[in-house]
Amino acid sequence: MSTRQSRTLIVENASICCAECKKSIAPAGTSWKSAAALTRTRVIDIPGSTSSTHPDVEIRHFSCPACGALLDSETALPEDPFLDDILTSK
Amino acid sequence: MDPITFSIIRHRLYRVVEEAVITLKHVSGSAITNEGHDLMVSLYEADGTLLLGGVGFLHHLTSAAEACKSIIRRFEGDVHEGDLFLLNDPFTAALHTSDIYLVSPIHYKGELIAWSACFVHVYDIGAMNPGGFAPEAQDVFSEGFSSPGLKLVDRGDLRQDIWDTLLNMVRGPEMVALDLRSMIACNNVAKDRMISLVEKYGLPTFQETCKTLVAQSETRLRERLLEFPDGSWESRQYFDVKGEVYKVLLKMTKKGDELIFDFTGSSPQSKYSVNCTKWASLGGLFAPLFPLLCYDITWNEGVIRPIKVIAPEGSIVNCTKPSPVSVATVGAIQSVNNAACTTIGKMLASHEKYDDQTSAVWHANHFAVFMFGKNQKGGDAIGILTETFAGSGGARTFADGVDIGGEIPNPISRMANVETVEAMFPVRYLFRRRLQDSGGGGEFRGGTGGELALVPHDAPDGGLHYVLSGKGSKFPQSEGLAGGNPGAINDYVWVHSPDAEQGHNCFSQSLSSIPGEKEAISWGVFPLMGNDALYVRWNGGGGVGDPLDRDPHSVLLDVTNQVISIDAAREIFGVQIQGQSLDVDGTTNLRTSLRKERFATNGGK
Repeated sequence: MSTRQSRTLIVENASICCAECKKSIAPAGTSWKSAAALTRTRVIDIPGSTSSTHPDVEIRHFSCPACGALLDSETALPEDPFLDDILTSK
Repeated sequence: MDPITFSIIRHRLYRVVEEAVITLKHVSGSAITNEGHDLMVSLYEADGTLLLGGVGFLHHLTSAAEACKSIIRRFEGDVHEGDLFLLNDPFTAALHTSDIYLVSPIHYKGELIAWSACFVHVYDIGAMNPGGFAPEAQDVFSEGFSSPGLKLVDRGDLRQDIWDTLLNMVRGPEMVALDLRSMIACNNVAKDRMISLVEKYGLPTFQETCKTLVAQSETRLRERLLEFPDGSWESRQYFDVKGEVYKVLLKMTKKGDELIFDFTGSSPQSKYSVNCTKWASLGGLFAPLFPLLCYDITWNEGVIRPIKVIAPEGSIVNCTKPSPVSVATVGAIQSVNNAACTTIGKMLASHEKYDDQTSAVWHANHFAVFMFGKNQKGGDAIGILTETFAGSGGARTFADGVDIGGEIPNPISRMANVETVEAMFPVRYLFRRRLQDSGGGGEFRGGTGGELALVPHDAPDGGLHYVLSGKGSKFPQSEGLAGGNPGAINDYVWVHSPDAEQGHNCFSQSLSSIPGEKEAISWGVFPLMGNDALYVRWNGGGGVGDPLDRDPHSVLLDVTNQVISIDAAREIFGVQIQGQSLDVDGTTNLRTSLRKERFATNGGK
C-alpha cells in the first residue's frame, strides 16, 4: 500500500520512493533531498536570463538516483540549505 | 435555515460586491483603477467580521477587515447612519499609504447591520515621489499622508475641512477627488443594495444567513484540511534592492484542521520601502490561499479562523514603525504571496484529489513604473504602466500557464491598450509583446511574461520622468512545481542616446536595435527625455513537471510561435529541431543523454 507524498514521490513500506521506478530514497518522515541526485544550474546560464541576473543564484534539480526521474526543483543561493517538505502522517 | 433562501442571499451578496466594483471603475478616472483594476470591495458584519471578500486585489481582504475593526474601536459610540470613514495607515491596517480604505457603516431602521469597504490606489498621496511609490523614502513619514482613521462623511454630510485638507496634500487633487468620490459612490451602491436585500428577506433572515455563511466557510475549510496529510512544506523567495539581498522564508505546517504559516528566518526589515507590516503579510499569504485552497468556499472570516501566522517583529514581513513601506505591495508582500502559493501548491499536490488545483507560481514580481510630467495637452499626468497587471500564468498539472495571463492575487487584473497609454502620456510604444523564453520550463511550461519599449513623443517638456520600484531583477521568483523551472526575471533598461537625431529610434523592434548606451536600472527616479528609451521585461510563470517530459510537438509549436528559442528547446526541453521540423531521433538521443547526466551526480550534497 503506497500513499502519495507529492506528484513525484510516494511513501511505501515506511520509505519515500520515486513514483516512477519505486526506488526507495529515504526513510518516511525525513528530509529526502540529500539522498537524491542533484544537478545545479546557474540561472544566468539558462536561455531567457539577462545580464542583471545574480551570478550565483542557481536552480537545483533533484532526481531519482536510480532512474533519473526529476523529483523536485528549487531556486537557491549556493550557501542556503535545501527546502524540506516532510509528511508526518497520512 | 432554508437552503434555497440561503443560496439566493449568498448570490445576492456577490452581486452587491460586483455592482459596487462596477461603480468604482466607472467613477474613478485613474488608469490604475479602471484599466489595471487595482481595487477591491468587500462586505463585513456589524462587528467587522469579514462576510464576503469580493474581487480585486485579494491582499486587501484581511487588511480591510482590520480597518473595519479599527474604525469600530476608534469611533465606538460615534458611528452613525450616513457616516463614512477613511483609513490608510499601514501600521494600523493598510498595506501602504496609497491604498486608501473608505469604510461605510450600513444601517437598517437605525440599527448597524453591516459594513462595506473598498480601496483604490489613489492618483497621488503626497509622498516624496509622484504616484505613491517612494523608493528612496527613509521612513513612512516620507510616504505621504497617513491616517489611522478619520470621519470623512458625518451623517451624510461631507466634512469639507477634512476634504480640503486631504486634497491640499496631494498632487493632482482633482484626480484624487475623483478617486475618493468613486469610493464614496461604491460604498453608497453597496449600502443601497444591502438595504434592499434586507428589506426583501427581513433582518433576522439576513443575519442568520451571514452567521451561517461564515460558519459554513470555516467548516468547509477545516474539513478540506483534514483530507491532507499532516506535514510541513517550505519555500523561499529572494529579491534585491540596490545590491542588497532579502529573503522571505516560509514553513507552512498543516496539523489536523489548521495551517500555520511561519516566517521565522526571513530577513530583518529593510532601510528601503519594500517592507511589510504584519497586516500586509497577512494579506499576502491569504491572497493565494483564497483562490487555491478555497476556490469553492466563500471567502470570509471563516477561512481566516483555521490559519495561524508567525511573523517575527522587526523582520521584512513585520516591520516596525517608522520603517518605509510604500513599495510593500510590489515588494515583500509579493514574496509572501509567492511563498504561500508555493507551499499551498505543494500541499495540494500531496493529495491526488487536488492535483488539478495545483499551480506553479504566477507572475511573481510586479514592476511599478509611475510616469509623471506634462502630457501632450500641457496638463499634469501621473500614472502607472498597467502592463504590470498583465501578469503571466503559472503552469498547472494539466496545461501550460496562460501567456500574459494575469496573477493569482487579483483575478480581474489587466493592462490598458497601448493606444490608451499613448493618449494619456506623451509617449510612444516601439513594441509590446510576449517575451521569449520567459515561461518556466516544465512538462507544462509557465505562461510567458512580456516586454515593451517606450520613447517620448509629442512631449511639451521633451519627455517625462518615472519612478521605478523594480526590485527583483536579479532573482527568479515565479517558482516552478514538481521539478518545473521558475519563470524568467524582470529587467529594466534605460537607453540613453543624447546624440541621436530625433526620431532615430522610431522603428526599433528589439532592445538591441535601439541606438544608445544601455544601462540596467531598477530603483529610483529616471528620465525618459529627448532620445531616451525605456525597455521593460516582466517575468513569466513557473513550470510544472520535468521539461524532458514535455511533448516535443508542443516544443516545436512554441519555437514556431517564437515563444521559446531554439536554444531553450535544446537545453531545457531536450528537443532537437532541424529547420522547421522535429528531429525525432535526435530528440530521443538528447533526452536520454540529459537524463543520464542527472544521475551521473551522486547524492544531493
